[in-house]
Amino acid sequence: MTDLLIIGAGLAGLTAGWHAAKAGQRVKVIAKGMGVTHWHAGTIDVLGYTADGAGVSRLLEAIATLPAEHSYGLLGEERIASALSAFTTLTAEIGLPYAGAHNPGENLWLPSPVGAARPTFLAPLGQVAGDLSTSQPLLVVGIEGMRDFYPKLIAENLSKQGHTARHAFLPLSLFTPRQDVTTLQLAKLVEEPSRLAQLAEGLARLVKPGERVGLPAVLGFEDHPAVLARLQEVTGAPVFEIPTLPPSVPGIRLHSRLRRHLEQMGVRVEVGMEAIGFGTNGDRIAWVETETSSRPLKHRATNFLLATGGILGGGINSDHTGRAWEVVFDLPLTIPQARDGWFRPHFLDGGGQPVFRGGVSVNQHFQPIHPDRTPVYTNLWAAGGILSGADPIRERSVEGIAVATGTSIAYSVLRSQDNDG
Amino acid sequence: MIIAYALRNTHHPPVIHQREKITMISPSLSTEILVIGGGATGTGVAWDAALRGFATILVEKRDLTHGTTGRYHGLLHSGGRYVVKDPHSAVECIAENRILRRTHTHCIEDTSGFFVVTPEDEGDYPDRFLAACAETGVPCKEISVAQALRREPLLNPRISRVFEVPDGAADSFLATHATAQAARQAGARILTYHQVVGLLMDGGEGDKRVTGAVVRDTVSDETIHIRADLVINASGAWAGQIAQMAGVGVKIIPGKGVMVATNHRLVNTVINRCKMPSDGDILVPVHTVSIIGTTDEKVADPENLVITPGEVQFMLAEGDKLVPGLSRARIVRAWAGVRPLYQEGFSGDSRDATRSLTLLDHKARDGVRGFLTITGGKWTTFRMMAEKTIDRACEHLGVERACTTASTPVPGIEQGHYWLGHRLHEVEAEALQGGLVCECELVTRQMVESAARRNPTVTLDDLRRDVRLGMGPCQGGFCTYRAVGILHEIGRERHDPDFVLEGEADAEEWEVAYLQSPAQSSKGQSITAHATPGATTESALPTRSPAIDRRSPVSNPNLLLRDFLQERWKGVLPVLWGRQLKQERLDELIYLSLMNADHLPDAAAQSPMTGFYRGGDGEKKIVNGE
Ligand SMILES: Cc1cc2nc3c(=O)[nH]c(=O)nc-3n(C[C@H](O)[C@H](O)[C@H](O)COP(=O)(O)OP(=O)(O)OC[C@H]3O[C@@H](n4cnc5c(N)ncnc54)[C@H](O)[C@@H]3O)c2cc1C
Repeated sequence: MTDLLIIGAGLAGLTAGWHAAKAGQRVKVIAKGMGVTHWHAGTIDVLGYTADGAGVSRLLEAIATLPAEHSYGLLGEERIASALSAFTTLTAEIGLPYAGAHNPGENLWLPSPVGAARPTFLAPLGQVAGDLSTSQPLLVVGIEGMRDFYPKLIAENLSKQGHTARHAFLPLSLFTPRQDVTTLQLAKLVEEPSRLAQLAEGLARLVKPGERVGLPAVLGFEDHPAVLARLQEVTGAPVFEIPTLPPSVPGIRLHSRLRRHLEQMGVRVEVGMEAIGFGTNGDRIAWVETETSSRPLKHRATNFLLATGGILGGGINSDHTGRAWEVVFDLPLTIPQARDGWFRPHFLDGGGQPVFRGGVSVNQHFQPIHPDRTPVYTNLWAAGGILSGADPIRERSVEGIAVATGTSIAYSVLRSQDNDG
Repeated sequence: MIIAYALRNTHHPPVIHQREKITMISPSLSTEILVIGGGATGTGVAWDAALRGFATILVEKRDLTHGTTGRYHGLLHSGGRYVVKDPHSAVECIAENRILRRTHTHCIEDTSGFFVVTPEDEGDYPDRFLAACAETGVPCKEISVAQALRREPLLNPRISRVFEVPDGAADSFLATHATAQAARQAGARILTYHQVVGLLMDGGEGDKRVTGAVVRDTVSDETIHIRADLVINASGAWAGQIAQMAGVGVKIIPGKGVMVATNHRLVNTVINRCKMPSDGDILVPVHTVSIIGTTDEKVADPENLVITPGEVQFMLAEGDKLVPGLSRARIVRAWAGVRPLYQEGFSGDSRDATRSLTLLDHKARDGVRGFLTITGGKWTTFRMMAEKTIDRACEHLGVERACTTASTPVPGIEQGHYWLGHRLHEVEAEALQGGLVCECELVTRQMVESAARRNPTVTLDDLRRDVRLGMGPCQGGFCTYRAVGILHEIGRERHDPDFVLEGEADAEEWEVAYLQSPAQSSKGQSITAHATPGATTESALPTRSPAIDRRSPVSNPNLLLRDFLQERWKGVLPVLWGRQLKQERLDELIYLSLMNADHLPDAAAQSPMTGFYRGGDGEKKIVNGE
């Protein structure tokens, strides 16, 4: 029998799974896809902008000003802080250590693929040296013909923002004779020793004393830390990755190492399974059914965690009549049930699109609730992108909400079992 | 007249170095014919005028096809739609249909067309339709339902009769650009991003004459005067505004039509309902998508059209009657265009206004000489409208010159009719996969570079019209960033030694014949052109595109990016639900969270596009004669 069945293998689901498994729970993760980590920067964005559009520097101060229904409001500072510190431990455990800004509690400001400064709280060590809070000159090196990274654009925008930045190119032929390589293929090619040596030498010729070197985030896959170390050693300069257009190599690195780590702890992670139904027993969920190639499968468990993501993750679907629904349990949603109310006229509207703010409402334990605030099921929990009360993409809190709610729920579930037992 | 003479006799007319000059007085140009409007009609008029040897200048306030021409349904009419209701239009359509297949071959896909009788369609219409086709000369053959379903398996199986007619699908972007190139080759000068803000007038009450126009370069914000013997107003739904500048009342009834595109082709044949023309009754396969349309609603303003969820739902419901399940297909975009309908003294509903063309001779009608207005009509009849207009122009200018457009192909026709697999075939045959920047529409880096260099480009939206950038299912999610990066890389810096100033060299501007061809775009260039500036044939071309001229404020990559995202949003907004809503959220993740594009430098700066998506006019007030 499974103690905790997690639906969704994104950061929220995997973080919750890790904490629960560490506490001795029997955990199973089922998911249709992999979550948004594959499409993002591979960083842990906790909160970048407040509702009025101001950039967040000191994190906890900004979190304290959020409304009560925001996931962070429900969690409180202490639970957020301990979840993030536990996550840092986890990244060290999986051999892909993350770090924060030089001044503890502050956001990092890292160069984006267009050369804007993106606020994030924790980043893989391979990105941290790009922090724009320091004034060290930057050399942004691209690969000719690579369609997902534009160093000249990045350097120009960094210069416009007052940094000393320039760009250069290395030929793609350094890595491969082919033109149609993806970011992930490039990352794997770079690990090959002779290519790595050539890359290192090429960089060493370009870099000037005192510069730090930014490269597209393709610096190795399995051996990323070693690739990074080697490049720093040969060039004598700090080397860092700048995210590319997705798929995101840093995101995939994190996800695949996390998944493997969980599997080594005995957690089953089954991807490619879509939840298509569920059964109840009074006010409890009894089982969730999934579609597989051969036959539908029933997964029974004591507790269930819904971590299917929001509209982006596929946890919420909608149709042209303006109906929006939660796909597994048909939970109540705070999304307006008419398309007129979903959008504002401008893509870049500072306030964000109302449809993306809606989701599943929860109590302080993160159990989905009815409008009258009673739990929908007593053994069901919800984490990550499916939660209402925030637009994580607008406020740059995608991973922060996932990690903090996933962590906290693992402990709520444990407590609830202690109480039951 | 000296300048006009020069204009007529040189392949590339003299150019005013607007950006070089500090002007105390507005610089001026002279010509015989000035055409206002760069839609199908105006471009056709300029082509005809130039072929007949008139010194010709065309001004368009944005990019070519910015107006209704770039927002239409994509149907090369056989005339079938009009045989019962408007037989005169039907006769015109079939005649022009035959001509355009010869003159604009590569802009047309020979899809053929069905008129199908669904269970809802009225009893005797099919027989009247068949008889009227015979009378108007529209070739029409009844085929069996079984045969029709074999060719179009997704068609509603409950249809009772099917008639086949020579409908086609036409790419109005390419056709207009190719016509413009033909016009240029015949000596016309085409000025995009040049807006008429007033007309130059002579004479007093009862003896007025239009002698030219005051034109604002919307990129540089400079004003020029263009003197002309004859001014032709071909500004479509805006024709009333232009006529007003001459003190002439022309009441255009802007009839808005909504269209919705599915993410793939549901049919390969144009499907019409066999009934009195009405709303949502045609499905047209255009490039990679199918388009269901359209509606007809009287609106106040031809700009800033709003599409409601109700209109989209109505289109989908009507579409289901032709192809059951259409409403559950993934919808990629919705847009609206306005019919420039005109009827003297008409005050009723726009649906009942005549569809036929209107040529207003303001000398006879209003006592204002030197001024014609051509409006109404259809895309399919643009060539004929141009012919009639220039016939009248000849009378005004006191010369007799025959029209030759019907037998003069535009550049590019040797490629044959368009076919759906064209790009894929070339990409695979030439192994161009590595250069793809838009996987949905198979646009290569070379196509983007080539379009930007060979065609005046101000915004990414111009590139969309040139090469179909961002028109597929992801609606620019991936290619926007890539296109901005590429334009920025190939942008010419101020200090480039080989930078050629506007007008100093013979740029291959309007080289559009092969813009749609991945193979042709890749010839003679290497993908790493940016590594060795000036080394390849392509980058040695002088540049007239403000988007890659780093002296021009519109080359700012941050504005290019912002404006395209905003513009794109306008098009997808009415159709966001289900998978497309998820796609949009992914685009938010990429452009907001990953790129932080909403926090780039210059975020608040104005650009020629700002007015469009911001709503309101956003453009300078139109002043009568300044
Ligand atoms: C919804 C809809 C669907 C249609 N579908 C079809 C179809 O399938 N087949 C078909 O044959 N026909 C179709 N039509 C008709 C066809 O699209 C139009 O008749 C045709 O495109 C009109 O072209 P135009 O050049 O006259 O006008 P436009 O294309 O509107 O051109 C006018 C131009 O003038 C410019 N302009 C305006 N003011 C100024 C100024 N002050 N200075 C400079 N320039 C200015 C505008 O920017 C614009 O580009 C459709 C029409 C609509 C509305």
